[in-house]
Amino acid sequence: MPKRIWLWFAHTRVGRSVFRVGLPQSNLERSQAMVSSFLLHVQPAKVSRHALRASYTLGLGLISLYLFLILTVTGVLLMFYYVPSTEQAYGRMKDLQYVVSAGLVVRNMHRWAAHLMVLSVALHMCRVFYTGAYKRPREFNWVLGVGLFLTTLGLSFTGYLLPWDQLAFWAITVGTSIAGYAPLIGPKVQFLLLGGNVVGQEALTRFYALHVIVLPAIAGLMIAVHLWRVRKDGGLSRPDGTEDTVQSIALGQLPTNKSYGLMELARGTTPQVGKDPDDEVFSWPHLIFRELLLFLLVVAVVLFLAVFWNAPLEEVANAVHPPNPAKAPWYFLGLQELVSYSAFWGGVVVPSLLVTALLLLPYMDRRVQGVGRWFARERTIANVIFSVCLVVAVALTIIGTAFRGPNWSWVVPWRPPPAITEGR
Amino acid sequence: MHGTSVGKFYAWFTALGLLVGVLVGLGYYRDEYRPWKDYQRRFIREEIRRASTPDQRLLAQSTPVQVRQILLPELNRVDRCTTCHLAVEDPSYGGYPQPLAYHPLHDQHPFDKFGCTVCHRGQGRATNIEDAHGHVPHWDEPMLPQKYIQASCGQCHEASDNPAAPELARGSELFETVGCRGCHKLAGVGGNIGPELDRVGARRSPDWLRQHFITPAAVTPDSGMPPQKFTDTDIDAIVLFMLSQTGAELPGFYASMKVIPSASEGRRLFQQKGCLGCHSMGGQGGKVGPALDDVGLRRTPEWMMQHFRDPQTVSPGSVMPRFGFTEAEARALTDFLVHLRDQKVGLGILGLMGPVDRGRGIFSKYGCAGCHGPEGKGGVPNANAKTAQQVPALTYVADGYTKAELKGIIFKGQREILPLDPHRPAPPLYMPAWGSTIKDAEADDLVAYLFSLKPKGEDLGF
Repeated sequence: MPKRIWLWFAHTRVGRSVFRVGLPQSNLERSQAMVSSFLLHVQPAKVSRHALRASYTLGLGLISLYLFLILTVTGVLLMFYYVPSTEQAYGRMKDLQYVVSAGLVVRNMHRWAAHLMVLSVALHMCRVFYTGAYKRPREFNWVLGVGLFLTTLGLSFTGYLLPWDQLAFWAITVGTSIAGYAPLIGPKVQFLLLGGNVVGQEALTRFYALHVIVLPAIAGLMIAVHLWRVRKDGGLSRPDGTEDTVQSIALGQLPTNKSYGLMELARGTTPQVGKDPDDEVFSWPHLIFRELLLFLLVVAVVLFLAVFWNAPLEEVANAVHPPNPAKAPWYFLGLQELVSYSAFWGGVVVPSLLVTALLLLPYMDRRVQGVGRWFARERTIANVIFSVCLVVAVALTIIGTAFRGPNWSWVVPWRPPPAITEGR
Repeated sequence: MHGTSVGKFYAWFTALGLLVGVLVGLGYYRDEYRPWKDYQRRFIREEIRRASTPDQRLLAQSTPVQVRQILLPELNRVDRCTTCHLAVEDPSYGGYPQPLAYHPLHDQHPFDKFGCTVCHRGQGRATNIEDAHGHVPHWDEPMLPQKYIQASCGQCHEASDNPAAPELARGSELFETVGCRGCHKLAGVGGNIGPELDRVGARRSPDWLRQHFITPAAVTPDSGMPPQKFTDTDIDAIVLFMLSQTGAELPGFYASMKVIPSASEGRRLFQQKGCLGCHSMGGQGGKVGPALDDVGLRRTPEWMMQHFRDPQTVSPGSVMPRFGFTEAEARALTDFLVHLRDQKVGLGILGLMGPVDRGRGIFSKYGCAGCHGPEGKGGVPNANAKTAQQVPALTYVADGYTKAELKGIIFKGQREILPLDPHRPAPPLYMPAWGSTIKDAEADDLVAYLFSLKPKGEDLGF
């Protein structure tokens, strides 16, 4: 049925004008479909079978992109109702819940998609590591990826404050005070973020501007470059032997007795002219349909969460009633757990080292073996080191989330401690 | 097509497309279906049933089903209670079951100016029962039980002045006479042994407060507060008074409306405006104007009102200036003068009392009775205190101290209380230092009162 509707539409006058080539029937038209469409031409006309294997990519990069799109759309809808004022913000959350049509569902979608995006971006990074996909020539795209991961955290963190409830207020208070532990610049950074020494109207204004303009613009730009680099760096990483082996020609070494077309000037890892390996299939429909299906799946999951679970909203922010314990957003709880041992080592040294190590990783790990396969034998040492860091980070996050109670003391989640909050 | 079947894609598109469609439908249904719509339809049916003319019928039929709300920007509140409680302003719905019942007695506090939650509490923005009535997690202001509703009057009005809130006045009186201020600060006046009470009505639930007055240790394990010997109705009254202490600050219009003209308000004005500078009462005061002791017999209230507005109009040649009293102030002063012969109103004008009487007032004002007992007779337990595990009585201070020594103790306090058994916890109650609170002249009066406590003719011969 959908096929028939699609066929009918693609052959109407309107359909033909939109898609230019109509529904592709021949290989030529399949290539044209990709090249002649603005939205599709970012991707190659033909794509390696390897890149289509869901078990290789797990679709995590695309999932992250889709979540970003969902967040943009729902975020704009929320902006129609939100007012970044300490007087009004909380009331607006209540209005979304009680009187705005679909307001609650849209807010839920935004909230759950945001959490999922932090998760999917982190998992995407793990996937790229474990398949060695950051190696030459994709080093810089890994660096961009690390930047996108940090931007995602920034987006989530700045959005966390906006509902202006107790959860928001104290999570940001705790989160920004972690930033304040850095020597010399820490207090300055904290002051710059908050526009003062405590979370108040200035902080809300700044977080709002960062959340709806600055960080989305940065993220959008970086996503564009990230995707473009995927293409320019030779598509998705593949196992040894299937990579293109054509030598690139350094621009300075061009023979002078010959004229060159643009294609010849391009680097060696761009689509090759006159080279059609057997293991490639046409992007239309093999890649595009899979991408669309994944989009539907992501929308379905986010909708499902949003329809059945409400985003949290606690009491209105109250600067004199800290909850005990006051916790940062979950993705910073590993950090908070570290800070509970040592503010300087846990809050400054470890995270700085981690980010630096991630940024330098592709330049330190220069062996080219083991690319394009999960947990390649040749990369055992790297994989073990990364896994240990990962397990520690996950463990710390789980401890911080579930096993820490009042005064950051040990609790077990299935047996909550006697409430020490004052009774009412 | 390169081996892989494209046909299976279409099956997946169908399945996932349907799933998304179902979820969107479900989300739409949950968003669209709201119980308040049922209440509104029920109300509209009732209106149609009651319509007696075709016009009324048409009007009822064309009533839209929509959220109704009262916007109160000054109070930063939006009350949507009338979305379900549609007939609060229609007396013909008197006695109807909720949510369609009429709300009597709202002419002093019109809904469009006051809304609902400022008195009843609850969550005004919410549009379903549980959330709106506020007994849900993460909402600090559940609806006030009807029996404590007078507590809300105390947010704006003087507790003792409001004739419509007798239980609030009773609670306030109890608070002042029992001596709560000996340990607790309220509005900046009181001791510092117990916590401040300025926001207690917003922090604590009625149940908590009740339990706390019966056995303080049951809800605050290390509380040193002596259990109070209240009757059940007294507990209700004092709980109610506590609930009225929400610390809410009222903006513009609401603050301007809070004075209820009453005799006690008039008494405050009478002292504050310095009437005794010219007039006298009980033989004390100025001689420029007439004595006012029996003015209520000589003049009608209307005459007095006019006199306060402009003395010249009713008493030509009078030297009394036009003070520019507001109508409410004039009414309060008139009330005071009319009821002057009623002892309760007349008493308490400081200018008219001797030091012992003033001291009695100060003893009460700072809650000394809370620990030292009414009239300083003692009997309040203080676990592990050397003085028979009680706070000492004050009946015989005149024998043990000079006036200067006594003043010194009041001002400096006595933080360390000698324990009966040094191994047990220190006694919870102690004498706070009142130096920063009680003024020097007040302390003199207080000491005079304490010295007067010693029974006449008795001398222990120290």
